[in-house]
Parts: sequence; C-alpha cells; structure tokens
Amino acid sequence: MVKKEEMVTRETVDRLCVLADLPLAANRRDKLVAPLAGLVAAANELSRKMAEGGRRGVLPITRFPER
Amino acid sequence: MAPADLLTLTIAQAAPKLERRELSPVELTEAMLARIATVNKQLNAYITVCDQQAREAAQAVERLIRAGYYLGPLHGIPIALKDNIYTHGVRTTAGAKILADFVPDEDATVTARLKRAGAIIVGKTNMHEFAWGGTTDNPHYGTCRNPWNPERFPAGSSGGSGAAVAARTCLGALGTDTGGSIRLPSAVNGIVGIRPTIGRVSNYNVVPLAWTMDTVSPMTRTVEDCLTMFEVVAGHDPLDAHSAQVPVADYRAELGRGMRGLRIGLIRDYSLTHVQKAVGDAVRSALKAMERLGAQVEEIAMPSIHGNISAQLTIESCEPSTYHQEWLRARPQDYGEDVRTLLEMGEMYLATHYLQAQRYRSVLRKEFLAGFKQVDVFVTPTLPFTATPCGATEVVIENDRKEDMLSAIMQFTGVPSLAGLPALSLPVGFDPDGMPVGMQIIGRPFDEGTLFRIGHTYQGETDWHTRAPKL
Repeated sequence: MVKKEEMVTRETVDRLCVLADLPLAANRRDKLVAPLAGLVAAANELSRKMAEGGRRGVLPITRFPER
Repeated sequence: MAPADLLTLTIAQAAPKLERRELSPVELTEAMLARIATVNKQLNAYITVCDQQAREAAQAVERLIRAGYYLGPLHGIPIALKDNIYTHGVRTTAGAKILADFVPDEDATVTARLKRAGAIIVGKTNMHEFAWGGTTDNPHYGTCRNPWNPERFPAGSSGGSGAAVAARTCLGALGTDTGGSIRLPSAVNGIVGIRPTIGRVSNYNVVPLAWTMDTVSPMTRTVEDCLTMFEVVAGHDPLDAHSAQVPVADYRAELGRGMRGLRIGLIRDYSLTHVQKAVGDAVRSALKAMERLGAQVEEIAMPSIHGNISAQLTIESCEPSTYHQEWLRARPQDYGEDVRTLLEMGEMYLATHYLQAQRYRSVLRKEFLAGFKQVDVFVTPTLPFTATPCGATEVVIENDRKEDMLSAIMQFTGVPSLAGLPALSLPVGFDPDGMPVGMQIIGRPFDEGTLFRIGHTYQGETDWHTRAPKL
C-alpha cells in the first residue's frame, strides 16, 4: 500500500494536469497537493472495501431503481 | 392586519385569510418586500429582489380571487427561489460571476408549478457559488448571514433561502439539495426543509451540481407549510429524464395520524456519535418527546455507513468538474477560490474512484432498505454542530480538534443523498448561544408522507418552530 504522503506529490499533480489537459499555473498545482492527497487516500480506502470479493456483484447506482 | 402581524403568518394561517378576502395578496406581498428592504442589507439573503414582478403578480392573483377563482393554499403566498432555479425574465446567477447576466427565457418546472398555484416570487436567494459548498460565503454577491446572529453563517448551499424564511421575508422558499444543501441551512436557521426522494421533484431548468444526487424542494417555518409547497412541486415531469413515474401520495392524510406505533431507528455508533454536546442533547430530548408521543426507538447496525464521506466527496467532485470542464478552462479567474480549487481537484480522481463510490451507494442503499424492515425512519442530527462564525473553514466538534468544514458538515446529510432517500430537517432546540439545532429524519423511498407525519406531530407538541430571531 502506498503511503498517503507519497501518494500525491507535486509531480503527480503535474502528470494529472497533463492527462486531464488542464493547464494550471504552478502556484495552483502546489495548492492541490495536500488536499488531493487526503481525498485520494480516502477514495482508495473506499475502493479497497468495494473491491472485496463478496461485493463483485454490486452494480453502480446512477439511476434509482424505483423509476 | 398590521404589517408586523403579517410577518408572523405561516402559509397555513395566511391561506384561509386570502381565500376569504380578509387579506389581500398585494398587502401580504408589500409587507414582505418592505421586510426584505429592512433586513437584506444585514443578511444578504437575496441576490435579486423581484419588486416589480412581485407587485404585478400580486395584483394579478388578487384579481383572480376577487373574480371567484381561488387556486389553492399557495394562491397569493410570497415565495423566494434559490438563484440556481430558472425564472423566466429574471436573472438566474447560481451565485456565480459566470452566470451574472444569464436571464432564462423559460421557467424551471418547479417555478412554473408554483406560479400556476398562484404563488408570488419575491426574489432569488443567495447561495454558495454553483451550490458547491456549505457556507454561502459568496465571493461575488457577498456573504449571507444567519438571522439568529449575523456573525454566524447560514450554512449552505441554500443559505439565502434558509435566512430568508427564518427572517420572515417570505412564507416559504425553494432550495436545492445535493449533499445536504436544503437540510443544513434549514437546521442552522431554525426552520424546516425536506430533501425529496431522487426523482420525486423535477430538476428541469435547475443549474446542476451533481446529476446523480441533485434534488429541489421547499424550506418553510412549519412542517405543514413544507407539505403544502411539496404537494405543488412534486410529481412526474416528462422534461426531466431522471423524474420518477411514481404517483404522488396524499401527504395531507398523514397529518393528524400521530406517532403511535411508529418505529424510529438510531444507527449504532453513528446517529449520536461525534456531535457537539448541545446538538446531541437536543436530539436526545426530541427522541424522548417522540417516545412520549407513542413512537418506539431502537438501534440498528449499519456496517457500511462509515464510507459515506469519501463516496460523497468523490461523486460531488467528479460530477461538477465534468459539468464545469469548459468554463474551468475558459474562465478560471471568474470562479471563487474555494469552488475553483474543488473543481480542479475533481478532475484528478480516477474513473475507478468514481465508480467505486457509485457502487458504494448500492451497498448503503441495500443496508437502509434492510433496516426499513425493522423501523419506519432513521434519525440523526442534521449536522454535528451549530452555526459557526461567517468565513470559518474549520470547525471544532469535540476534543478541541479542528476539522475541515466541508467534510464535517456532510457527516449526516450525505447518507440519504447517497442512498436516494427522502430526509426532513426540523428544529429541535437551541444551543447555549441561542443558535438553532436541527434533527434529520430519513424515510423510505417515496415515503415523504411519514416524514411529514412525524414532523407535524412533533411540532404540535413543541414550540421551537414558533420562535423568531430578533433582527
């Protein structure tokens, strides 16, 4: 498991900006590193729980079934 | 009636007077416009006040009543709309500089339904920019303030609607709720607000935040008034692809049924955990009152509940960033700093993060539906703290530990949003500083009626909802 503080670095944000075709100034990229690290760590934790074998049959909700 | 007395009227009190022509829509509207003129400089609850349109509408609906055409309990009632809800001919900014000059050429479905019911739109309320945040600290239209103490925040994103109703500048308002944006300002402003089941109320011509979680609904001073507005806006809309084809129930039949036999669930290690003392005390006291009224309270385990904040932040990051993708590249400087940062971060999640969060919603919903075999509703505080100072980005809930505002404020309201369930917030007390405390009641899909039943019965036995801020 990657450590939270290693998960998102300034270089990670640089690469994500390229992938997203999002031209951000250097000061804005710097600003995203710390909050993004927290959000991505939490999202990865949820992903690990949802990837457990017992949940392979779970479908994503994008429309609610009562309609 | 004296103008000061008009400000105290609820919809349920005003409607029969309007029908019997003891009160005129023009008189009531003028009283509200005068009140807005008095308090809006202090509260900044309105972005646009519709003086002229409201006066013209009031005269038109008054002519109808004089001619013998009474349209129902919203006929002649002054209402405010959150500024992300389209209004034909009136600018709709969504609290954003980017939409500062946007004047829709048609109404939202909910606007049209209110107008058809004879309601008078007095203004468009302040909100967190593009509804992406919970404070209504708006950099473009000014900070909205809480009528109970203007140094405190009104929460958000429908903070203007909450402040407008609590300050008696209108008899009801519409807000929008994605992760809590109706229920949070309802709680901290001491009023009632309901998030509907997803699909129950049309989102057509409402500026979106997150498509799979957005809802529109009323905010009022009493549960009965909330029901009255809800009856008008609820129902299928062919113009909204997410609108549900489920018949609208007879909600009014639920009022007067009392609480005897109802089963109220507390989610173990969650419902009353990690809350400020005053909030926990007020909610426990409300539960005791409900037990005295005949309800039974029991604990239910919900093992997956603790993934909810991450799931909500992921979905509420990715969907808005998708909607805003072009503007974020073309006009980044026109966003406020907080929303711009959130939109930039939303572009940096992986697709797997987003889809795992959407899969989590299935798990959470399944656990709720299983829980509803044992209880009729679940109860939590609406938010774990009372109104913080305006401008705060952190909050202390317990043990002197500072927490990020956005995550902390979503602690309870995000859960029904993710599970697609209806949830009502109603006032249940005050903290030692005189700031309101709200309680959230979560119901089965499309069972808003039980929420109205419980809330109305509780308000029949308590007076929290009758107290007014001193402005």
